Amino acid sequence: MFTNPEIAVDELPSATQVEWQALDRRYVMRLQIKALVTGGVALGALLVARLPGMPIPAGAPYALAWIVVGILVAIGLLWPIWSVPRKRYAVRDKDILYRTGVLWQSITAIPFNRMQHVETSSTPLDRRFGLATLQLFTAGGAGGDLKIHGLPADIAERLRAFVLDRIGDDTERD
Amino acid sequence: MLARNAFQSLAPLAAFVFAFDGDPLANLLLGGSVFLALIGATAALRYWFFGYCITETSILIRDGIFNKRQLDISYARIQAINTQQNILYKQLGLVTVTFDTAGSSAAEGYLPAVKSELVAALERRIRQQPAVLPVPHESESASAPPERRELLRLTAGDIVLNGLSSGRVFLLFALAGPIGEYVDTHFKESIEESAVIEALTAANASPGSGILVALVVIAAIVLLLFGISIVGSFLRYHGFAVTAGDERLRSTGGLLTRHEHSITKAKVQSVVIIQPAALRLFRRFRLRVRQISSGRAGSSRDFVVPICRRGDVPVLKREIFGEELADLSPDPFASGFSPVSPYYLRSRIVLFGVLPSIAALIGLWPVAGPKAFLALCWLVPSSIYFWLSWRRFGSSVLQNGFALRSGLIGYRVNVWLHRKVQRLTITQSPFQRRRKLASIRFHLASGSVSLPFVDNAMALQLQDYLLYRIESS
Repeated sequence: MFTNPEIAVDELPSATQVEWQALDRRYVMRLQIKALVTGGVALGALLVARLPGMPIPAGAPYALAWIVVGILVAIGLLWPIWSVPRKRYAVRDKDILYRTGVLWQSITAIPFNRMQHVETSSTPLDRRFGLATLQLFTAGGAGGDLKIHGLPADIAERLRAFVLDRIGDDTERD
Repeated sequence: MLARNAFQSLAPLAAFVFAFDGDPLANLLLGGSVFLALIGATAALRYWFFGYCITETSILIRDGIFNKRQLDISYARIQAINTQQNILYKQLGLVTVTFDTAGSSAAEGYLPAVKSELVAALERRIRQQPAVLPVPHESESASAPPERRELLRLTAGDIVLNGLSSGRVFLLFALAGPIGEYVDTHFKESIEESAVIEALTAANASPGSGILVALVVIAAIVLLLFGISIVGSFLRYHGFAVTAGDERLRSTGGLLTRHEHSITKAKVQSVVIIQPAALRLFRRFRLRVRQISSGRAGSSRDFVVPICRRGDVPVLKREIFGEELADLSPDPFASGFSPVSPYYLRSRIVLFGVLPSIAALIGLWPVAGPKAFLALCWLVPSSIYFWLSWRRFGSSVLQNGFALRSGLIGYRVNVWLHRKVQRLTITQSPFQRRRKLASIRFHLASGSVSLPFVDNAMALQLQDYLLYRIESS
């Protein structure tokens, strides 16, 4: 028999009052190493540019390039210290929440019954630190709809299995 | 398939006949024979390697001469069936069928040159799928097609108005410039020698008559462009009608090539009611019924009603959403839309008006001096732009769905059901945090829609309610 009980909107579970899980602290170092490697490549290119026979003039533009690369590397080293602790996720019975942002802060919520598939991935640097990325896909998107970087590899795998299980449950119910 | 290849090969054949030296008739005979042989061979090969099979649950398509491809499209994934029938196909009783499938971008089903009866058979077969709609008595549904009701039919006047308001006119305007330059360069000498100029000179024409001639030429070009656009509108939408069955909407229309587009109502993601400036003048609307998109820019597979009257909009909305959105008015002029915070206007003017103006002033000062103050003129158009945009923004939250109004000179109302939302993102900038405001982005399978600068507490409450609605659907 069809029923349509009234819902008290104030009593609905709040998506903000949840126990947020932090990313792995090793993710900070992984991002800093990536910044160092990228900065090292840029500095190497600048040094090569000054080798004899290279048509790069010394002077203000060359000095400016050093300063820009230096600032970018410094930001790359310091920014993860602020940004990574602010990236948090929460898994509830029916959805997954992800909070991110230092200046522009956002909360994304994806219900399990809207997920199409889920995958985990890890770069060689991720594997060195025992980390992985969880990607969640919903219908109609071009790429991964939500990426949670910096998860410990075992937790990412457990999350993947859990989400797949929940997607399967919802499909069966449908 | 032979007909299709022959049609496509007419252009190279014509090029061969006229580009080579010698007798055109001999060229035509030689070229025609070679092209006919090639067309025949290609068509035979394509026909030989192309095959399709309609099973209980899916359509299997196999094609490719060198690159083999096999496609298995399950009926449950099919969002819409579209057909096209050009003059040649009409004579042969054939149609080209394309299938829009959920989320895919390239691997969509395509059946070239199949008999038109097959489309009806396919629709019957798809209707029988439990994933689409449970059918209690299969024998009944297979025997007779469902009754279709006509919701809308475009009159000749509507088609003319559509041609006048089409964006193609502006594209033609853009093309008119280079064409005019070409004509000016190549025919300047002959025009100067022409009798018209001589006559004008002989009559000792005043500067006013020159301006008059220029105005007449411009008016003629404008009329010609509008004429082309109206003809284009007639070619595409002659006899355009929207009909509704139990589970599908269908549009048919076209003068030479007949287009048929059908969409499953249950798979509609959102409906966009648009009234651009030109249509506002004619008091008409345009409707886009959006389905799952691949996410690629420009990969639109919308079901479009190019022009309709104000009274048609609620009828189409009721047909698509049923009683679920009975309490929602899609009319952009309805009073139920709540405005967004005035801080939206302030934030946008500061970010895109004041800051770029000051940056330009500082940047230009060393080279332009006091003239650099002219950069502040940018504040006027940017402020008007964001004021108009802020005035149009409005949202209407209802029990089952949402309507978001936006626009600049015209209007655009996006309507969707809560349960169609795939994910939800609430964002706060530092400025919004100070003012306890937030922006909400609704991600639908057909694209995302943003509602800026609403009360943060309301945004969080809406998030909780939407998650409840999605998770209990």
